[in-house]
Amino acid sequence: MTLTASNGLIWAISPGTKHYPFDPATGIGSYMGRRKKIVQECERLMDKPENIRNIAIAAHVDHGKTTLSDNLLAGAGMISDETAGEQLAMDTEEDEQERGITIDAANVSMTHEYEGTNHLINLIDTPGHVDFGGDVTRAMRAVDGALVVVDAVEGAMPQTETVLRQALREGVKPALFINKVDRLISELQEGPEEMQQRLLKVIQDVNELIRGMTEDMDDVDDWTVSVEDGTVGFGSALYKWGVSMPSMQRTGMDFGDIMELERSDKRQELHERTPLSDVVLDMVCEHFPDPLEAQPRRIPRIWRGDDESDLAEQMRVVDEDGEVVLMVTDIELDPHAGEVAIGRVFSGTVEKGQELYVSGTAGKNRVQSVGIYMGGEREDVEQVPAGNIAAVTGLRDAIAGSTVSSIEMTPFESIEHISEPVITKSVEAQNMDDLPKLIETLRQVSKEDPTIQININEDTGEHLISGQGELHLEVITQRIQKNQGIPVNTGEPIVVYREAVQRASDTVEGISPNRHNRFYISAEPLSEELVETIKMGEASMDMPEQERREALQEAGMEKEDSQNVEHIHGTNVLVDDTKGIQHLNETMELVIEGLEEALDNGPLANEPTQGTLVRLHDAKLHEDTIHRGPAQVIPATREAVHKSLIDGKIKLLEPMQDVRIDVPNDHMGAASGEIQGRRGRVDDMYQEGDLMVVEGIAPVEEMIGFASDIRSATEGRASWNTENAGFEVLSDSLQREKIMEIRERKGMKLELPQSIDYI
Amino acid sequence: MLTFIGLGLYDERSITVEGQEALRAADRAYAEFYTSELIGTTVSDLEAHHEIEIEVRDRAGVEQHPDEILEAAETEDVAFFTAGDTMISTTHVDLRLRAHERGIETRVIHGVTAQTATSSLTGLQNYRFGKATTLPFPYAHGADGLPASVTETIEENRERGLHTVVYLDIKVGHERVEDDEYMTADVGAELLAAEYPDLVGVVVARAGSPDPLVEAATMADLAERDFGDPLHLLVVPGELHLLEADALVELAGADREDLEIA
Repeated sequence: MTLTASNGLIWAISPGTKHYPFDPATGIGSYMGRRKKIVQECERLMDKPENIRNIAIAAHVDHGKTTLSDNLLAGAGMISDETAGEQLAMDTEEDEQERGITIDAANVSMTHEYEGTNHLINLIDTPGHVDFGGDVTRAMRAVDGALVVVDAVEGAMPQTETVLRQALREGVKPALFINKVDRLISELQEGPEEMQQRLLKVIQDVNELIRGMTEDMDDVDDWTVSVEDGTVGFGSALYKWGVSMPSMQRTGMDFGDIMELERSDKRQELHERTPLSDVVLDMVCEHFPDPLEAQPRRIPRIWRGDDESDLAEQMRVVDEDGEVVLMVTDIELDPHAGEVAIGRVFSGTVEKGQELYVSGTAGKNRVQSVGIYMGGEREDVEQVPAGNIAAVTGLRDAIAGSTVSSIEMTPFESIEHISEPVITKSVEAQNMDDLPKLIETLRQVSKEDPTIQININEDTGEHLISGQGELHLEVITQRIQKNQGIPVNTGEPIVVYREAVQRASDTVEGISPNRHNRFYISAEPLSEELVETIKMGEASMDMPEQERREALQEAGMEKEDSQNVEHIHGTNVLVDDTKGIQHLNETMELVIEGLEEALDNGPLANEPTQGTLVRLHDAKLHEDTIHRGPAQVIPATREAVHKSLIDGKIKLLEPMQDVRIDVPNDHMGAASGEIQGRRGRVDDMYQEGDLMVVEGIAPVEEMIGFASDIRSATEGRASWNTENAGFEVLSDSLQREKIMEIRERKGMKLELPQSIDYI
Repeated sequence: MLTFIGLGLYDERSITVEGQEALRAADRAYAEFYTSELIGTTVSDLEAHHEIEIEVRDRAGVEQHPDEILEAAETEDVAFFTAGDTMISTTHVDLRLRAHERGIETRVIHGVTAQTATSSLTGLQNYRFGKATTLPFPYAHGADGLPASVTETIEENRERGLHTVVYLDIKVGHERVEDDEYMTADVGAELLAAEYPDLVGVVVARAGSPDPLVEAATMADLAERDFGDPLHLLVVPGELHLLEADALVELAGADREDLEIA
């Protein structure tokens, strides 16, 4: 049978090609002994970067990443073949298996023979749920290839776009696996024509995204995927079969054979004749770059240090004898070994006993053990050389995002988190005795997941956790209760607000308590482009001054301003317009401290200020340090900044979420009503297959409880997806009410400063 | 009426007679001891000696909430007093100006201050001093090493051949220290020795007390010594006049070899 697509692509293969049946010996049985062998084989392969592939599997929630990962593990003989798909070996946390979704990125190393050569594949499975986006971004830094999984029925979804963007931004090469093809055949009973069109549409959509995102990247060629090149695979992770152009040539099975077997429910045969793991792992070995190919391209993209240095060269060439450079992408807690730092070794070889620097901290940490991940478990090995993913214990100062190295070096730029926290919940220990343990656990949690922000309040015992969404926080609190056995009381989820100026202010004066020090400051809104540039880490105080200036100018900042940038805090910038003021240099640190305090606690409701350019025009200082110490300068700057923000008509902003609901026609009204009834806005409604799609945007605050409401409104027929969409100014009519609500919750005075007369 | 009274250098008897009379005649007496302290006495001894009640104000009570003092001064005779002189090395001209804004009459009764005691005890001539500076505790300023204001002041003065008085930080009722903390001259010299190990410093300890002490040596040397109870200060001499050098050798035990003599 021959399938011909409209673009002339031919899905046919010559009959009689050799076919490799699945070898059951690699499946069930002596799997512990086998595991040991795999570890040994992995160790042997570690020194051969040309045979290493570091990959991530990323997808929209529920499109089948974890099931696919299990297939690969079973294929490599690491879990029993029969349980693959049910076992969810990558979902190691109890709550993950309960919820049926992946929460943390999990790690595993496996081997795969391709064209007579054994390959070491280091795999990271990433969460697809929007609440856990930070894990995806971090995982991408450790890998060179991303297998993007898309559900054949649902097609490319919002989160597909997000994970793809996260991969491409890190210089990670994509390939596509279209999952759940069995549903097209068996459930939707689609004919060849229909099916082909649907699959081509998925490929086109994904390619359009890739093309759009790589347009401005001059360090990559054409990264679009295609069936002919073999960078697209199809199949069913559930029934463990897969197919691709090369696999068809190898197994002699074409799409027609597959449809026939699937239709007649001969899925085991299908699996045995064309196992998914072979198709995918072959694709990984053939099309994903090895570290030798990837690192020369990726290092300039993700590291801002001196391009000409020996270190840069060692990282580019994956020099296992070079200085040790480990970029930590995740911290896991092992009940026995304590904190385990997981990350990509870009150069050198990590070994037990090494004393390594951890970026952002003083002194060195000693490596206690080094290992690799095999499913949920860590296996100690002698050493992990450049090009691999290592699991290291003993790095007590490391957090997800740290650069760990044998010499002091420019750290990798901070990993860009696309999502910032939008929701907060208070956590209290039920028993006072648990308090120290709870604080310790919370600190731990924020080390493991930097998208979590922890606010510890030792005075009230009420600690705040901020994260990406309701589910994100729920999972974290559950882990505290279950894994650490600390009973806690949690508060209602509270939305995180922001404050931002709406116009340029006049210059205002801040006076120190002793009145001998004065600061003259104004505030103005930063352009969206500049805010975006800062948010993405494309301009930060960590980078060389010249580079920062250029990035800021490119985003539209005046040349002189960009030269005078003294500090960047959140998405706010301090520009120092003063010239030659004596003693200002040694006072600047205190000015910045006061500025940060003022920005972190905005004048309206103590919420963080964003997107503001603060300009220091002049300063009058006391001659003697003692009379311009912290007690004088900090309150003076804080006062000046707040005054300028108020003069700039600062307003309250609330976080928004994009909402997409897929729902049968009869329930469309109810579904769009659920958006509109939440101070939301429906932007688009259209037919897609047999479902209606409703797209809109609504405030995060109103979206709390959305899950159960939409279920009852549509009799459980709707599927939906939300994605954080930044902050918007709250409507004028709600400003005062909301500000007072927050002030009351925080125990602040219930009247605004007199100068705030515009709200 | 608001009268600023300097208590002088050491104990309840260091005040001038004029100051004592004004203090005793006042309807209310406010004091602050956060800029400096009288080491030889306590508030209750002061109260007993002068037969008055003293209300001690902290920094916030003077700088941020001076209203009570000013309101009282509108109708009564109020004394505001500090160690040394109320207008030297303090920021109290601000309080005086605030009083004037309210139409309150003010006057200043001087006290002996470390500035003059330093000249008196060391023999260094008051004509030959440049700008003074304060050496803060390392935790009290953000900079690494010595603050630029200290090094710049010393270096600019020395370029012009002038002496520098280096006041040593005191922290009284400070949130970061449990007990009151006084930087001693050996600690000050150690901090300065990081930059100027071979430069000569002159320690003045307990000026105004019955047992004042003056010692001159290199900073590295001074850092090893113990100068007893506070308060201490340091002088970094510039170029010395012959008699100044004689005084440092005779009165402060300086090694003539170490001195820069004009």
